[in-house]
Amino acid sequence: MKDNYKKRKKTQNLVLFLILLLVGILFIMPFVWMTVVSFERYANIQPPFPPSFTIKNPSLFNFKVITENGNLTRAYKNSLIVAVCSVLVNIVSVMMAGYALSKGKFKGKKVVLIIILATMMIPFETRMIPMYKMFAKIGLTNNFIPLIVPNIIDALGIMLAKNYFDSLPTSLGEAAEMDGAGSFRTFFQIYLPLTSPIAATIVILKFMDSWNAFLWPLVILTGRETRTVPVFISAFSYGTRMAGSTMTVAFLGIIPVVIVFLILQKYIIQSIALSGVKGE
Amino acid sequence: MEKRSSCRKQKNHRSSLIWFLFLLPAILGIILFIAYPTIESFRLSFFKSNGTVEKFVGLKNYIYVFNNEVFRKAFFNTFMITFFQIVITLPIAFLIACGINYLEIGKNLLKCLFFIPYVTPAIAAGTLFLFVLHPNGILNQFTGLLGIPSISWLENGWSARFGAVFLSVWRGMGFNVVIFLAYLQAISPEYYEAAQIDGCGGVQSMRYITLPLMKNAFGVLFIMGWINGLQRFTDVYALGGMTGSPARALHTLVAFIYERGFGNFEFGVASAASYILFAIIFIFTLFN
Repeated sequence: MKDNYKKRKKTQNLVLFLILLLVGILFIMPFVWMTVVSFERYANIQPPFPPSFTIKNPSLFNFKVITENGNLTRAYKNSLIVAVCSVLVNIVSVMMAGYALSKGKFKGKKVVLIIILATMMIPFETRMIPMYKMFAKIGLTNNFIPLIVPNIIDALGIMLAKNYFDSLPTSLGEAAEMDGAGSFRTFFQIYLPLTSPIAATIVILKFMDSWNAFLWPLVILTGRETRTVPVFISAFSYGTRMAGSTMTVAFLGIIPVVIVFLILQKYIIQSIALSGVKGE
Repeated sequence: MEKRSSCRKQKNHRSSLIWFLFLLPAILGIILFIAYPTIESFRLSFFKSNGTVEKFVGLKNYIYVFNNEVFRKAFFNTFMITFFQIVITLPIAFLIACGINYLEIGKNLLKCLFFIPYVTPAIAAGTLFLFVLHPNGILNQFTGLLGIPSISWLENGWSARFGAVFLSVWRGMGFNVVIFLAYLQAISPEYYEAAQIDGCGGVQSMRYITLPLMKNAFGVLFIMGWINGLQRFTDVYALGGMTGSPARALHTLVAFIYERGFGNFEFGVASAASYILFAIIFIFTLFN
């Protein structure tokens, strides 16, 4: 009887897996089609309808159209600069604040914590216009600084860091301070090396945030040369309605991200799950 | 005795200062990028302003926004798209998550398949959907297989809104699945074993164990869905541009703020609209 049960469970598993796999494949169908169209030579002239999943005239023509009409390599470089700098500014501030809110002993700690939590409730769009005016006043439009510096405050990151420091024993720091280490040395030499899991999570979340950001870069980046990848994609697809090249620009925006995701999938999914579960 | 306590006080004071230094970057950020812009935006909402000339107008901006046809439409679109996104996504994501949780094989593969749309930049996914939703595109081809007549999704209001719903369901599904899975995996298997011993079937276990324990997960995803949905901009911008074509069917609250602020340089009107958005989001966070 037990064998029977096992067998039944096995077939159940297989059927369920196949159903979910089918739905999952439907989910990535748009990407497959996008890839086919991107490599189709005549996709601009003769739109690839009805959709087909074979490439009739394989060619890199659509990619050439994009490189001739704009500098996507430059956009990638811009996005990378902005994302890396945003992550750096963010992680330093977030780790220090999380540490102070976890291990610190000072008056007003609760108040600071409540203020930081409260900042989560104010949507970016409400602050956007004064922030634009502020940066415009000091001549920083069409510049990466307005995209980078505001990452210095990130309530979600601070909470994730604080929770992690909470889980590390306080006795570690006390022992170090007994040996004469100052607060900064205790932080950098004792605690910080233990934080790589949560630091990786914060870095992943912030990098994705920055890489996919659109509204604020759209407001700030007015020149062709400073465009990040999302702004480039939007400007390109807005200017043309050619199926082939527009699909190719989407392809170039999506595929590198998917490759990075597939390499780091375990960490990325974990990070996002953590931000969703703990972020509330 | 007195001397010692004052000495300790001094030490406390000094260590407070050190902690303050740790918090300094975050506090500077709060002052410059949260507190100041929030207050300034509130002030601006009572002024007529184009960035250089300002004139106090009291509540006129708010009255104007509430009576504005385009704003009302944006308000309706934002709520409608988000409502259907959540109503469709949550049950399906829950079922998929239960399925993946039950499986003994291929868990990771499936998680990845559903999650890929979520990691792609919203603007690129939206651009791709310009063609997925094309009258001869891949969506109509698929629904055609099921015998549904072909629809020109992006050509009239209602179908365009549902096109945006479709895009947001597709892109957000993986996120919802992963959060549900995290909650499902936190349920102790002992509950199910006990239920099985008591003779509970699968459906009963689901009804009396899983669903009550998943109330939190539904709540979290519901609120998050609303807060993110109310700030919808990028995906509909990819489909319908700044004005949300066709006929402003894809115009959202944030698109209204963007158009008035940076298209027309009506900073006062845009600030008033942004405060209305803030108020709505605030109400949703209170539910939390």
